[in-house]
Amino acid sequence: MNMHKIVSGFFFIFAMTINFGFFYGDPTIIVEHSAFELFAAIVINLVATVLKLGDKTQLGAVLLATSLVADIQLVASATIWALAEYVFGGLNPESTTAIVSLAGGALLANIVSVILFISDTAKSKR
Amino acid sequence: MNEQIFWIILKRLRVPFLVILVTFSISILGLILIPGLDDTGKVYHMTFFDAFYFVSYMASTIGFGEAPYTFTYPQRMWVSAMIYITVIGWFYGIGTIVAIVQDDALKKAINRNKFAKQVAGLGKKFFIILGYNSVTKSIINRINNDDYRVVVLDRDESKVDELILEDFYPHVPVYVGEATKQQMLKMAGIHHKNCAGVISLFGNDTKNTQIATICKLLNKKVKVIVKASSKQHLEHFKSMDLKHIQNPFDIISKRIFYSITAPHIWLLEMWMYGHSLKLRKRDMFPRGKYIICGYGRMGHAIEYGLKKANIEYELYTIDSKEYSKVKKTTIFGDNEDKQKLLDLGVEDAVCIIAATKDDLLNLTILNKAKSLNKNIFTVARENSLEDLNIFQAAKINKIYILEQILADSTYNHLSKPLAEIFIKEVRKKDEDWAKVMVGMLNNMTGLNPSYFETIIDEEHMYALSLELEKGTHVSLAKLRRSRENRAEILHIVYLILKRDGEIYLMPDNHTQLKIGDELLIVANDENREDFEYITNNIYELKYILDIDNSNVFLDT
Repeated sequence: MNMHKIVSGFFFIFAMTINFGFFYGDPTIIVEHSAFELFAAIVINLVATVLKLGDKTQLGAVLLATSLVADIQLVASATIWALAEYVFGGLNPESTTAIVSLAGGALLANIVSVILFISDTAKSKR
Repeated sequence: MNEQIFWIILKRLRVPFLVILVTFSISILGLILIPGLDDTGKVYHMTFFDAFYFVSYMASTIGFGEAPYTFTYPQRMWVSAMIYITVIGWFYGIGTIVAIVQDDALKKAINRNKFAKQVAGLGKKFFIILGYNSVTKSIINRINNDDYRVVVLDRDESKVDELILEDFYPHVPVYVGEATKQQMLKMAGIHHKNCAGVISLFGNDTKNTQIATICKLLNKKVKVIVKASSKQHLEHFKSMDLKHIQNPFDIISKRIFYSITAPHIWLLEMWMYGHSLKLRKRDMFPRGKYIICGYGRMGHAIEYGLKKANIEYELYTIDSKEYSKVKKTTIFGDNEDKQKLLDLGVEDAVCIIAATKDDLLNLTILNKAKSLNKNIFTVARENSLEDLNIFQAAKINKIYILEQILADSTYNHLSKPLAEIFIKEVRKKDEDWAKVMVGMLNNMTGLNPSYFETIIDEEHMYALSLELEKGTHVSLAKLRRSRENRAEILHIVYLILKRDGEIYLMPDNHTQLKIGDELLIVANDENREDFEYITNNIYELKYILDIDNSNVFLDT
């Protein structure tokens, strides 16, 4: 058992689950998607990314890449929310769908990342 | 190795990033949860954007003020706690990131990558020069042009900086590295397909040996030009099958021998190094008794040359280090020294050679000798180029500058191979031959002719190589025609023809040319231009070659 593995595993999976929590619900109704959940998803995802920095193995590089994809998608989703709210005069179904689907994309990247992480763990003999 | 540094740097960025991330998110979350009041007194909750905006300028200490409405006391309490956490976190994080980016190891890795990339991208033949000093600088200045490029390694960072400030064009890739390490040599491109050779002219013979051995092991095909100043190292290099050994003392020994016994051979050799083709009286070594001061490597070399020339000489073993230790000065010329010179017979000697390792000592010895014997011919060894002005001002008859000799001979070796061959061939001849030769050259091409090397191929002689490919017979004599009037000859002299490794000194005028022949030609600039015009321009060449049915042109 290795403390770093526990911490990073925790954040990788947490990033995925919280991302799913935000994504789950009717994509056109914004009240089914909590802003707090998006905030938490962004923060947890960033933490997960930072934890993946500096791993020079092949797997580490792919993990970092997927994590960066998730970050970009989530930040884009938050940016659209802020733009729609303050610049384009309120949310409409179109922007709501965009916010949720961007988070959906991030969820996919997170799932890939977790699968990679688990498969690597399963491969190791100890 | 480079990659590794990159990853280590990334890993070190983890903590500062995490600190910024955590402090920011806590304070943002707090600001959203704590209720505030808007300007009408209603309860107001900050949105994520408001909070992110506020925290961003709070943490970075920009501080635009409270937004969007004036804060309530609970909000201010939270913010005052958060200021300390986020600002400290921000400074720590940014400080660490900046420090890591400026890290020496990272900079080195980046420089290294840059150097490796520059070397890999060299499209021309290049030489790896080990060690940067006044000798190699003068070599770089001359060979770093269209034909060759240069890569430099030096373990001393200040030397590398000096080279960078020199701003050579084309650019000279340079890196701080120990030349005796094979990894450095590999990085400098010893395995590169364009690597023409390695030049190692360190003062330390053992170091040169080490480098030569490594280079030969790493790449058999590469030319290694190396300096050897002692006999055993010379032998060692010969046994290693190195053909390009530079020994400045050996060169001096030979020059002294020739300038006494066969001044015209000496003149021809010096001419190849840029001397004018004219024997002046002040260049001639007198015959008579010589005094050699200093019996080190240079003293030995001079002795060898004098012995071969059958010249009487006196040796004065003066060691610069010991002299300065005993006398606490390097200025020669107290009464004891004066007596010493008189004992050596300075009054009836014709020439005195100061060959110690100390420039000032050499100068003062010669000055003293001159005051004792006005007509004595003075020869000095000059160790570093920086003292040149003093030596010139001292009106010394002949100055041997070791660095200059080394640089010149290396340069000739690299870019004038035929000139080097010419010197070797001339040495096999005798003084009479050389005298006739000099006279002939002066008659044909003037008192100060220059020479150039060329090769018959499409690049250098386009028209001629086309003609030769057709099977036309072109002899050397046929090419030697003026392009203004082909009945007259062009004032050039063919010195050397090299074909398939065979050397022809003063080739026969009826020699038929072949593609791939290398020529060493004497001509002044004007005639050289004409020659190049003729061999490159189809019409000029036709005009020259059609001399047998010349009336066709003359009729019109």
